[in-house]
Amino acid sequence: MGVQGIGARALRKEDKRFITGKGRYTDDMTLPRMTYAAFVRSPHAHAKVVSIDASAALEMPGVEAVLTGEQLVGDGIGNLICGWMIHSKDGTPMKMGAWRALEPETVRFVGQAVAVVIADTQGQARDAAESVVVEYEELNAVVSTIDALKGGAPQLHPEAPGNLIYDWDIGDEAATNAAFDAASTVVQMDLVNNRLVPNPMEPRAAVADYDEAEEHYTLHTTSQNPHVARLVLSAFYNVAPEHKLRVIAPDVGGGFGSKIFIYPEEIAALWASKRVGRPVKWVSDRTEAFLTDAHGRDHVSHAELALNADNKITGFRVKTVANLGAYMSLFSSSVPTYLYATLLSGQYDIPNIHCNVKAVYTNTTPVDAYRGAGRPEATFLVERMMETAARQVGLSPAEFRRKNFIRSFPHQTPVIMCYDAGDYDATLDAALKAIDYDGFPARKAEAAKRGKLRGLGLSCYIEACGIAPSAAVGSLGAGVGLWESAEVRVNPVGSIEVLTGSHSHGQGHETTFAQLISERFGVDTDSVSIVHGDTDKVQFGMGTYGSRSGAVGMSAIVKALDKVEAKAKKIAAHLMEASEGDIQIEGGELKVAGTDKKLTFTEVALAAYTAHNLPEGMEPGLKEGAFYDPTNFTFPAGTYACEVEVDPETGKTEIINFVAADDFGKIINPMIVEGQVHGGIAQGVGQALLESVSYDETGQLLTASYMDYAMPRADDLPSYTLLTTETICPGNPLGMKGCGEAGAIGSPPAVINAITDAINNNDLAMPATPQRVWLASRAALAQAAE
Amino acid sequence: MEMTGKYVIPASREAVWQALNDPAILKQCIPGCEELEMTSPTEMTAQVTSKIGPVKAKFKGEVTLQNINPPESYTIAGEGKGGVAGFAKGGADVHLEESPEGTILTYNATAQVGGKLAQLGSRLIDSTARKMADEFFGKFTEVVGGEAATETTDDDELDAGEIAAAQDAAVDEAPVLLSEAVTDIEHAVEDKIHDTEEKIEVAAGKGVLGGPFVWGLIALAALIAVLAVLN
Repeated sequence: MGVQGIGARALRKEDKRFITGKGRYTDDMTLPRMTYAAFVRSPHAHAKVVSIDASAALEMPGVEAVLTGEQLVGDGIGNLICGWMIHSKDGTPMKMGAWRALEPETVRFVGQAVAVVIADTQGQARDAAESVVVEYEELNAVVSTIDALKGGAPQLHPEAPGNLIYDWDIGDEAATNAAFDAASTVVQMDLVNNRLVPNPMEPRAAVADYDEAEEHYTLHTTSQNPHVARLVLSAFYNVAPEHKLRVIAPDVGGGFGSKIFIYPEEIAALWASKRVGRPVKWVSDRTEAFLTDAHGRDHVSHAELALNADNKITGFRVKTVANLGAYMSLFSSSVPTYLYATLLSGQYDIPNIHCNVKAVYTNTTPVDAYRGAGRPEATFLVERMMETAARQVGLSPAEFRRKNFIRSFPHQTPVIMCYDAGDYDATLDAALKAIDYDGFPARKAEAAKRGKLRGLGLSCYIEACGIAPSAAVGSLGAGVGLWESAEVRVNPVGSIEVLTGSHSHGQGHETTFAQLISERFGVDTDSVSIVHGDTDKVQFGMGTYGSRSGAVGMSAIVKALDKVEAKAKKIAAHLMEASEGDIQIEGGELKVAGTDKKLTFTEVALAAYTAHNLPEGMEPGLKEGAFYDPTNFTFPAGTYACEVEVDPETGKTEIINFVAADDFGKIINPMIVEGQVHGGIAQGVGQALLESVSYDETGQLLTASYMDYAMPRADDLPSYTLLTTETICPGNPLGMKGCGEAGAIGSPPAVINAITDAINNNDLAMPATPQRVWLASRAALAQAAE
Repeated sequence: MEMTGKYVIPASREAVWQALNDPAILKQCIPGCEELEMTSPTEMTAQVTSKIGPVKAKFKGEVTLQNINPPESYTIAGEGKGGVAGFAKGGADVHLEESPEGTILTYNATAQVGGKLAQLGSRLIDSTARKMADEFFGKFTEVVGGEAATETTDDDELDAGEIAAAQDAAVDEAPVLLSEAVTDIEHAVEDKIHDTEEKIEVAAGKGVLGGPFVWGLIALAALIAVLAVLN
């Protein structure tokens, strides 16, 4: 592939195996004597487990065992935990209800596992699971976010009276209220952020193998962070101490957050493999994924914006109820708090912000981080409010935003975050130019002649990525530090292996990380391999989520590369009898500046390993490790502009043009970044137009397959216009900000702002299905006629 | 799901009551019914194999009759389990009233499904229940009325059997993973059912199909079929 450094549109090294079907996924793992697990799941949203009769199942062919929650608890397997402590505003800790991998007493959502069948084949396991007779005593269920807090609502956990997990707030309430008292204009809205299913292409899977002789477990699983999985499995679930548990996350087909968490199935598989003395494989089917993968979003909010006479924002006041489902998933508590309310300042200079968040239990699938995790919810709120306020005060949405942009950095917001760098005018200008903002009225008039309603919507998003400074998140309640580690191994022949704690499940790390090495040492990217996803190979790592692998993961590699470079220069200087300060690395060679003396990188590497002639006291070898702890979050930002045409007869929305102007800081590989933005926008447009989880009033999941859950398809999406501007992030050595979630964060409000502009009715919920758009459009016409 | 109905049956209230309490007649008429047993004067157990959308399952259930006031009214309630397919439960208040034309039957039924039935089949429950009701009524008419529904049709306006068969074929051929195709098929089935209903109404007005007698029985059988299927 040649030398391809930072900025090159290098083709993805990993794609050869993916597109030829040679990827190695968890389900490709087949071990000798392997058994298969099938879970017995509750059909009820809330019920007591009266009895479990496995006698018929145990007599079926191939069945090795039927294991229940009683046995699991009896064997000392710990409850699932939420690893981020949030305290309510009265100082009390969040109320965490007990969540067992197999529930022996009370099921709290449809799909919760009560037993697992282990059998010789997958078919035998599934057949036997159907024959396990579970007697339930049904209890009343509470499903909707708002109903959970009502008096008389069914109660889920004795630990959480009133189904309230925490009642948290951020910002200065009194100062914010004062801003509203003095406001010239107050803009108010009720907004719902619809619940979504993550839908990675590869469903979750686990292959657990207990080695009786070594008392050692190996778990192959679909994880975004295998070391965190091992840590949690060891520290909290008592499966095995860390040195007796190896977690391997091989090729993983997408995660979008849903594969960060530790789920009951992996725990049960590990435990079962010891119980039956054979390896155990479990692979989720698609409906199990709908039922048990942590869902995303599900906020109900009331938001108010205060403006002064000059239409400058003086206050922002938000009340949100966040539905966390039936149990607290691993990082669920942080999503509607520190990943959400800390971004409510958007790109704007807002002096006073106060946000109150009540998190509630309902009899639904647990909710946790999904692409963007809190930041899409914040952006939806801020950008719907900005557009609405502009309409209310009669300014163009672009001008109103410009009036309130932050322009000096660093900028301390009233909600913890300190923005380090940005140029919000630059992305707004780029987007407006690309979508021909000024020509819109003519296009709208032309569309009207054809009987179509045209609308244009903006969204100026900001997000916090590169999570995160360990001390900072520790002070906010995180149970782990969020640094990253790397190890650079230069082999004696000069090829390089980079071991990283980041995990690639679609992001293209094997390419972009190799580009960094290529840039630094001038070596061919083909001579670099990236090793990740195995706790036995990589020392430690915090994994990939929150757009952190570039800003945090690559920064750790840079630190290790610095050490390798320093040692290589010392060796080269010694061998060429030159001063260390005169050695330069260029084009794969170490040169003495101002002379024609040089050594190839390979020669230096070999010298390091032969150790025949090293500087006095130097250890042999050329291998260095590093840990990198960020000093701040990074702040990618941009403007998304969406132009739509609505057919008033059918309510069908067509996206005519979608422009994304992003500032991601330094970009390693523009092609991969574009791919990330494409995917993110597809998911954001999916949320805006198509996707939504539906439960009936008894807690039955009605959208449990692709027949009922509408995923975006190619013909739902336009060809995007993607632009980037660049302000270098001062917080990390490469100046990177992160790009993985921007598309999903910025796009939903742009789409809804465009549709509401087209139909002249601001009251429109996501997903904006043709029926909803048609009704809102008719309502606007009726109101106009009055 | 909720279903309500009101029908006039040209037979004595006593006769209708008897027929509906005869397990042999019911078993013969309920589509997919493999067992139906009266375990006491107020209790029945049933085993029915049914296919709702992509879910095919054998349902075992118990039906109880409460608030019995023969031959005027009762409440029929039941709950059934389809194993991994989920569960169903429902109930109906049924009332028979004498009238100059025979017997007026009214019912008010509710049913709830859970598990895979809800996850995969919820959109198809209503149309499937109606389809099965059609099948039941055709058979019930044949057995109780002594003549097949199709034989009483005086022209080619209506052939419930053929329509039911077409619906079966349509549902069976639905490639379940292609949501659009399923949607289309479902619409097709609903269109056909809608047509059938219109034709039945027309037919009822004309006095074909055995006249109001059969029309009334169809309604009652629909309820039982729904309960039996869901149980």
